[in-house]
Amino acid sequence: MKKEILQIDDLSIGYQSCSLAKEAKKHGRKIRSKVVADKLFLDLAEGELVCLLGPNGSGKSTLMRTIAGVQKPLGGHVTLGGRPLERLSAKETARLLSLVLTDRVMTGNLSVYALVALGRYPYTGWMGSLSADDETVVRTAIETTGTRRFAHRHIGDLSDGERQKVMIARALAQDTPVILLDEPTAHLDLPNRIEVVRLLKQLAREQKKSIVMSTHELDLALQAADRIWLMSPENESVTGSGVEMISGMPEELILDGRLEKAFKRNGFEFDRTSGSFRIHHQYKGSVGLVGEGMLAYWTKRALERIGYRVIDDASLPFRIEVSDERGCGLWHCFDDECRGAVEIRDICGVINHVKPKLSVSTNAP
Amino acid sequence: MISQPTDTPGGSAHPWPLLFPRSSLIILLFVFVLLFFLLDLVLGSVKIPPLSVISIVLGNGSGNEAWDKIVSYIRIPKAITAVIAGAALAVSGLQMQTLFRNPLAGPSVLGISAGASLGVAMVMLASGAAANSFAVRQLGLGGSWLIVLASTLGAAFILLVVLAIAVRIKDNIVLLIVGIMVGNITISVISVWQYFSEPEEIQDYLIWTFGSLGGVLGPQLLVLAIVVGLGLVISFAASKSLNVMLLGENYARSLGMSTLYVRVTTIAATSLLAGSITGFCGPIGFIGIAVPHLTRSMLNTSDHRFLMPCSCLVGAILMLGCDIIAQMPGSQTTLPINAVTALIGSPVVIWVIMKNRNLKSSFA
Repeated sequence: MKKEILQIDDLSIGYQSCSLAKEAKKHGRKIRSKVVADKLFLDLAEGELVCLLGPNGSGKSTLMRTIAGVQKPLGGHVTLGGRPLERLSAKETARLLSLVLTDRVMTGNLSVYALVALGRYPYTGWMGSLSADDETVVRTAIETTGTRRFAHRHIGDLSDGERQKVMIARALAQDTPVILLDEPTAHLDLPNRIEVVRLLKQLAREQKKSIVMSTHELDLALQAADRIWLMSPENESVTGSGVEMISGMPEELILDGRLEKAFKRNGFEFDRTSGSFRIHHQYKGSVGLVGEGMLAYWTKRALERIGYRVIDDASLPFRIEVSDERGCGLWHCFDDECRGAVEIRDICGVINHVKPKLSVSTNAP
Repeated sequence: MISQPTDTPGGSAHPWPLLFPRSSLIILLFVFVLLFFLLDLVLGSVKIPPLSVISIVLGNGSGNEAWDKIVSYIRIPKAITAVIAGAALAVSGLQMQTLFRNPLAGPSVLGISAGASLGVAMVMLASGAAANSFAVRQLGLGGSWLIVLASTLGAAFILLVVLAIAVRIKDNIVLLIVGIMVGNITISVISVWQYFSEPEEIQDYLIWTFGSLGGVLGPQLLVLAIVVGLGLVISFAASKSLNVMLLGENYARSLGMSTLYVRVTTIAATSLLAGSITGFCGPIGFIGIAVPHLTRSMLNTSDHRFLMPCSCLVGAILMLGCDIIAQMPGSQTTLPINAVTALIGSPVVIWVIMKNRNLKSSFA
């Protein structure tokens, strides 16, 4: 049984707007608030990496802020390290939970080392002097994140990827069991994104940190996360706030179709087999595909990209067979008229040639 | 890539950077303060040999009674006032720049100087109350208790207005704009008042606005030193929190810092520092904006634990330098200190900015 570090119990998040309250008072009604999401039941175990997914405006940041204690919940409870969040002082919270925000820190004369050292704020005395232990924690944080190379540089001179790693080092120096990251991979190129996620995974594994990161990178999240928290707006919601929270292991969510369902509701088609989105869901026709392995997969991708549904069925009027000839792909088209070997780059041309027949004969699902 | 932390100071390819700037720089600044202090005592409209000045400072006297009096009752208090004013204005400017993350912020930004001016204007321009004007004339302008009291009350009043707003506003940038607006309102009130005042009264007020380091003597100097000392203690104690403010308010809050507490203490410290200096010496501009920039580029750090004391020293040096120039050594005339600070300081700041080019990125 894993140790739970964070529990969210019937949490309702949103804003208690002053103007809303005033207006409500004027009309003699109860004080109203804007509920972003409610009935949230979540938990976070020690050493677990959770990816928080959801479209823009679904309340990811609001949830993060509520967990961090920056924003008051509208209802329900957050329990951090076994104690209710509202009973913890700001300093106690700072020793249990650290944040990596999207705010850019651009102070010119601040060196990376000094910035990471600021993470020790909750532990140092009134002058903020670092003890030998503090110094060790700061250095370990810099070593772990691989930022030692530029520890002496100024924060304003760093690239986006380097700066993000420095901000993670700062959170590490804060030495908290829970780390929340708000879109840590935004504005980063692919190698940097992968490096940041790999670093977070390593922190969860080796240092038993419980990490929640919000992100828009579904594929990265599905590969890295121990668990997914998906906030998905419901189109036809009768009750509640209109945001449904789905939580579970990524593979579990894919296999039981919950992920597909959540995205389908929003007009996206999620392909359970490949774990990715389909851009086209208006098909021009169907093509049969016979074959297996990597060759079949990428042939299918090519066919789908030009707008054809691919069915694993050899009885369709037009079909393609792929076979592996000593490491090289061999594609055969089968049709009433044409038949013969082609290269993968010619497939589009062949299909466009026989297009009228496909749309007439096989458009029925 | 992942390695255990090793303690190889200096031996590694990437030695750990030091958090502390070199102490030699601080010693050098101290030497400069002493040097400028002595220069300020030596140079003036009356020529006194440096050795005699040193002997007077050491309490031995120079054998010339006039020289003794000039140095003990005019030059030493003025130089001490210059040191106090320079340190106070520099530290309050540094705090405001960090609190508002704005390189153009200074001690006058929240309308505290304007409030002090309003208090003084009320005393000097109260055209109906002849007794007031009379009293002002009788006591002399420079360091009259009445002027000091009026400017302190004026600064305190504006401070209370700004603080009342500060606890209601969440965003520091909004607070900055509100502070500037409050200052503008105050200044326009003074303008209206001037418009309806007698020319002589306006002249008195205008002379006060030129600023003066002289005339702060004996008990007044003691009061000024105590108030500024208190303000500096509060400011130094806020160093740690101001360092965290460099990360922005959200990070500061996530580190367990109360932003409201920092805001209230910095505003209170600034009004003690800037309010008292404005009260005793008149509105002295420029030092508060320039010195923090000079200090930052000299030390190449953002750590307030070093910026604070060093700003004090740099502020004292700059203020003493301005006072030396204002006396126009070798001539009988003196220039208004407020004009000199800007005249001398602005080119210095332009030079520093052009040379370093990192000012722009000093703030978000």
